[in-house]
Amino acid sequence: MLIAEPLQKAIDELSKLPSIGKKTAQRLAIHILKDDKESVESLINSLRDLKEKIKLCNECFNIATEDKCDVCKSNKRDRSIICVVEDPSDVISIEKTNEYNGLYHVLGGVLNPLAGVTVEKLKIKELLERVKNEEVKEIILALNPDAEGDATSLYLTKILKEAHIKVTRIARGLPIGGDLEFADSATIGRAFIGRIEL
Amino acid sequence: MVLKQLELQNFRLHKNTSLNFSDKLNLIIGGNGQGKTTILEAIYYLCTTKNLILASESDVVSLNENFFDTKGNFADLTNDESRVFYDSTKNKKSVFLNDKQITNSAEIIGKFPIVSLIQSDHAITLGAPADRRKFVDSVISQVSKTYLEILIEYNKILRQRSVILWKLKENYDKNLLDELDAWTVSLINAGTEIIKYRISFVNDFNKYLLKSYSQIVENLETPKIIYNTVSENIDSIKENFIDNINSAHNDELRRAMNLVGPHRDDFLFFINDLELKRFGSQGQHKTFQIALRFGQFYYIKDKLGKTPIFLMDDVFGELDTYRSEKISQHLNEIGQSFITMTDFSRVEELNLSKESNIIKVENGKTKIIN
Repeated sequence: MLIAEPLQKAIDELSKLPSIGKKTAQRLAIHILKDDKESVESLINSLRDLKEKIKLCNECFNIATEDKCDVCKSNKRDRSIICVVEDPSDVISIEKTNEYNGLYHVLGGVLNPLAGVTVEKLKIKELLERVKNEEVKEIILALNPDAEGDATSLYLTKILKEAHIKVTRIARGLPIGGDLEFADSATIGRAFIGRIEL
Repeated sequence: MVLKQLELQNFRLHKNTSLNFSDKLNLIIGGNGQGKTTILEAIYYLCTTKNLILASESDVVSLNENFFDTKGNFADLTNDESRVFYDSTKNKKSVFLNDKQITNSAEIIGKFPIVSLIQSDHAITLGAPADRRKFVDSVISQVSKTYLEILIEYNKILRQRSVILWKLKENYDKNLLDELDAWTVSLINAGTEIIKYRISFVNDFNKYLLKSYSQIVENLETPKIIYNTVSENIDSIKENFIDNINSAHNDELRRAMNLVGPHRDDFLFFINDLELKRFGSQGQHKTFQIALRFGQFYYIKDKLGKTPIFLMDDVFGELDTYRSEKISQHLNEIGQSFITMTDFSRVEELNLSKESNIIKVENGKTKIIN
């Protein structure tokens, strides 16, 4: 196989990206090769800016352009509630709802001993510091409802209760707006197990 | 539900085989190594996407070929075509339902319910607790996707928790102990749900077992399954689970193993209050294994409202004439079944009805003789 080295290198780099396979990487590389110089420069710059200008908020570890993220800087947010999430994309999802007016704390993952993620790899110590220093009344746990997310929630509940903080957890169950008939049977089954008394 | 037609290509000895089946009993006869069980193997693939005898896909491909292909036409309320194709050069299995590719095998499982009675079933009554748990879990999973999902999650929690136990063994510290507690609570929550499902399954299934057993043996023997778990009482499972895991704490740390939970449970089989494993004869074991599979058949039929296909691999050779006759009576009643046999001499015992189909298999070639 004889492919010009720069092209092969670009294909290899692109195929490292999530959900990009060899064929897609090749198509993207060829597209970039054919594209005019300005748009390629713009792409390069935007990628560089992403790495150079974006950092993590030193308060909540959300994505930020300065030391603090937009949520932490805002004086309109309720500083007595902190919502704990796995990663910055969860912040985006929750912000889109316009339902939540408190602060966030991004853990940077969930407990996963098999993958080597234990307590010290997550921003848990920092969360405890915030709880001590600020006027925090409630912690909302909004982690994914799988084995790892659940264990992380249970761990946080335990250590936060020791610090006498109210801990709540978002509900799990059927999606709203989706008809019962369209939900998969496992989701409905789990919703039945987790039913609540009215 | 019945399988009307089957096609095999490069499937072990079957280079190119096409068969039409009876809606009732299909008898597959041939010598050893001629390709009888292969037909059952293909049917099992089409219903479950998995291998009947846990062989690897690459072993199923005929010698000097690089793929196998199998298709089946099922008739229920609608006609459905299931197809399993395997490419050994890419080690890739593709499953199609009505020409549309299926990515999640759960979409097929339960659509074409199937029950199989094969040689390795002896492990259910004679083998280790893990073999019995596997039987029970597979039956419940066939009727409840929720159970299957919780079971998968539980197994993941076990693996995660054992990593923490190992770390604690290497290096004991307080923070790690808190982390262990979190996984313990997860383990108890998921484990309790599994135990609840299993308790209600065993209660229910005992009726099916009794009925099937009494149809095979003449004398009055009462079979029973007892589930040996943390608590017999459904209301105190969680409590007992917590107590047991607390008292096993030091042992768990010392051995770095998950010592309490449904993954350690056993199912005990009894005939007239005597434990089969200790007091049962060879014949009683065999009868019990057959009754478990017939029980599974009726259980699934009731729960899913669909009649499963029944596969039986070379079972008659081990049975006396009386039980063979009883079983074949049964088979004539239940729906569609596929039975392999090594020789013609015992066909008479089966009281074949007019609707039965006899297929002779020789070196991967089939011939229908009626």
